[in-house]
Amino acid sequence: MTAQLLLTFLLGAIIVYALAERRRSPVVGALALVAAAAGLYFVWVPAHATALAEFTGVGRGVDLIIYIWVVISLLVLLNLHLKLRAQTEALTGLARAIAIGEAMRVGSHARPAAPSFD
Amino acid sequence: MARTKVSTGAWVVIAAYNEARAIGRVLTGLSALPHRILVVDDGSTDATGEVAAGAGAEVLRHPINLGQGAALQTGIDYALLRGASHVVTFDADGQHRPEDVAGLLAALAAHDADFALGSRFRGATVALPPLRRLLLRAATWFTRLTTGLDVTDAHNGLRAMTRRGAARIRLRQNRMAHASEILHQIAASGLRFVEVPVTIHYSRYSLAKGQRASEFVVILLDLFARRLHP
Repeated sequence: MTAQLLLTFLLGAIIVYALAERRRSPVVGALALVAAAAGLYFVWVPAHATALAEFTGVGRGVDLIIYIWVVISLLVLLNLHLKLRAQTEALTGLARAIAIGEAMRVGSHARPAAPSFD
Repeated sequence: MARTKVSTGAWVVIAAYNEARAIGRVLTGLSALPHRILVVDDGSTDATGEVAAGAGAEVLRHPINLGQGAALQTGIDYALLRGASHVVTFDADGQHRPEDVAGLLAALAAHDADFALGSRFRGATVALPPLRRLLLRAATWFTRLTTGLDVTDAHNGLRAMTRRGAARIRLRQNRMAHASEILHQIAASGLRFVEVPVTIHYSRYSLAKGQRASEFVVILLDLFARRLHP
């Protein structure tokens, strides 16, 4: 029972996280939501977990839940990676604006080129 | 409001990170060319920027190190802003020959192309290690497969583009995967490109500064992540 409560708490937190992330990363959010909901179901209906585990060749229901947990962890990791990329892009834009702005300020003598890229 | 001098013609853009040892010699070689030379100092912790400015190049400085792709995009943006008619990208580590720049620019005009891509495999290499050759061949094969472009050299930093071509380049891969990204964007632009034979000189210095075999895995991961988060 203690393990069930602990897993319920953790999977519930993942569901809240997935719901919060759905707007920013729809695919990752949806996958994490489905995986966490499935995990929650199997925690409380272990007989079904065992049946599905036997059907899919995993062996034990508890192994299936661990695998689901691993999948969720990888999805969260992927989401963090994507967020980090977005942060890096923002930082790049800022550094570029500083570099170009400084050069334009220092070398300001005449009119800038018209932005025509024919 | 600040006004900035227009400088049309070709701009040679060099991304440099901690290249104080090599950049002076590279810029001396380029000084004979009738082009503007722009060095983007990518947050170097050595005197790269000072050496480049002392050698007569215009220098932009990233406040932090971002990577070669980011530095090249900064240089391209700035050159276009300053009215460049053509942009040439050139490595800071002494691998490229200044005399190849003229061939790239001539090829753009001769073939009515918007991109001229240097190819060491159509041209020549000096002291290219066998493992590096193998990795470059594999990268080229991968690029041909994913872009559909019939190129012979996928990771050559020596290239020239017209103003129109340069305006179509928007690098988001800050680090080494930008070389593949540029080819993807050339393919997507539908603009004409031509490959031009160039000679690449490998030295102990350039090999130490260049990509390691393990970085090719990182490049593949970067490209994969970009697909997930376009």
